[in-house]
Amino acid sequence: MLVAMGGTQSGEPSELARLLAASARGDQRAFAKLYEQTSPRLFGICLTMLRARQEAEDVLQEVFTTVWQRAGDFDSSRASAMTWLITLTRNRSIDRLRRPGEIPLDEATARELVDDQPSPAAHAHSSEQRQRLEHCLDKLEPRQKAAVRAAFFSGRTYNELATQGGVPLATMKSWIRRSLIRLRTCLEHPI
Amino acid sequence: MNATYDEDREDLRYAEYALGVLEADERVAVESEVREDERAAVEVARWQERLTPLAEDFPSVTPADYMWTRIRASLNLAETRSHLAETSSRRLGESLSFWRWLALGTSAVAAACVIALAVLLSRNLAPNAPHVSYMASTIIQDNGQVGWTATMDLQHARMVVVPAKPQALPAGRAPELWLIPAGQKPIAVGMIAAGAPTAIRLDSALLARLGPTAALAVSVEPPGGSPSGQPTGPVIAKGAIGAASESGGNPVAMLARVERVHATG
Repeated sequence: MLVAMGGTQSGEPSELARLLAASARGDQRAFAKLYEQTSPRLFGICLTMLRARQEAEDVLQEVFTTVWQRAGDFDSSRASAMTWLITLTRNRSIDRLRRPGEIPLDEATARELVDDQPSPAAHAHSSEQRQRLEHCLDKLEPRQKAAVRAAFFSGRTYNELATQGGVPLATMKSWIRRSLIRLRTCLEHPI
Repeated sequence: MNATYDEDREDLRYAEYALGVLEADERVAVESEVREDERAAVEVARWQERLTPLAEDFPSVTPADYMWTRIRASLNLAETRSHLAETSSRRLGESLSFWRWLALGTSAVAAACVIALAVLLSRNLAPNAPHVSYMASTIIQDNGQVGWTATMDLQHARMVVVPAKPQALPAGRAPELWLIPAGQKPIAVGMIAAGAPTAIRLDSALLARLGPTAALAVSVEPPGGSPSGQPTGPVIAKGAIGAASESGGNPVAMLARVERVHATG
């Protein structure tokens, strides 16, 4: 089940923002509800980025521990609740990827996630923001768009992306930097 | 060099941080800017808001049921709040000393201690939400004596096996621990020591099968473990698995036992 991404457009705090605020006050029931509603999406992120179930479970536990202890840091004027949770989860997964020591290859998980990166969301079901971003991504050259997507879903460094894509580091950097600038322009000045 | 160029370069670093392509040291640098500089915090948040819609493409995967138990357990224990900052090996070391302390008594009583503590913790801190954070098993040998006790810590996904009076094995043979889910083939858990506690990390396949219908068993194997993935030597000890919070009993009386063991140990 997808949880709505946005949440502040209507001016009302979203359900998730209310659950976060209640968790910050120590409301265990709200925290349980928050877990129930968001853990499948957040676990999907951990699994896709880490590609090893045990590591993904450790990061998921870390994420929810942080949520319980630091839900008060969430600022609804700066980001939607789901963006805050996704960002926290991606950041923790990236931190784990950067830590020295290899993440053991988990063949069962690797088999479950055959594709190297998720396929684009079916646009009929995606949010307005997702559709706008896709519109801007489509204006990039195909290889540059693929590089941005690979970076986002894998959490790999420039170096790793260059090696994986078989291009020089400078090329990968310039693809992604140019793409980021073009995305910013496109998202700020639509059409 | 004009300001716009500098600002653009700054903004690119924030974008690269949000996308996730920076090396560890570069990430740390951006994170400290975000903490100290409001403008950096706003710019990074703006990039996260721009890029996060891509996250709709991640698949949703429901975590295993024990994950909620692990998370709850980790938050109910006030003294473990800071454990995330520590390395897992240090955590393991600390808890090993805890289990060694428990092993001062007879191991059967040691298992009772863990059960009593878990019952007390779960009742005191979550009165209306019983949950299992520890499981324990007393592994009894054919001669009727306790060979080992195993305590399974679901929160940290590990098991500690403490020897009581394991029988001597022939030279060149070693005990191997197996998990036997009801009606299924044994699953190798790992080699265990006869003279010292053994800590074993439980993978998700093992965690998912722990429960009151499963049993633990010890078989006699070559020192490197069974070559076939199934027990090859005789099974010398077996034990049922009990969920700590379902073990019943009077927790206060059990605590008194814990204190007696501690005083005499």
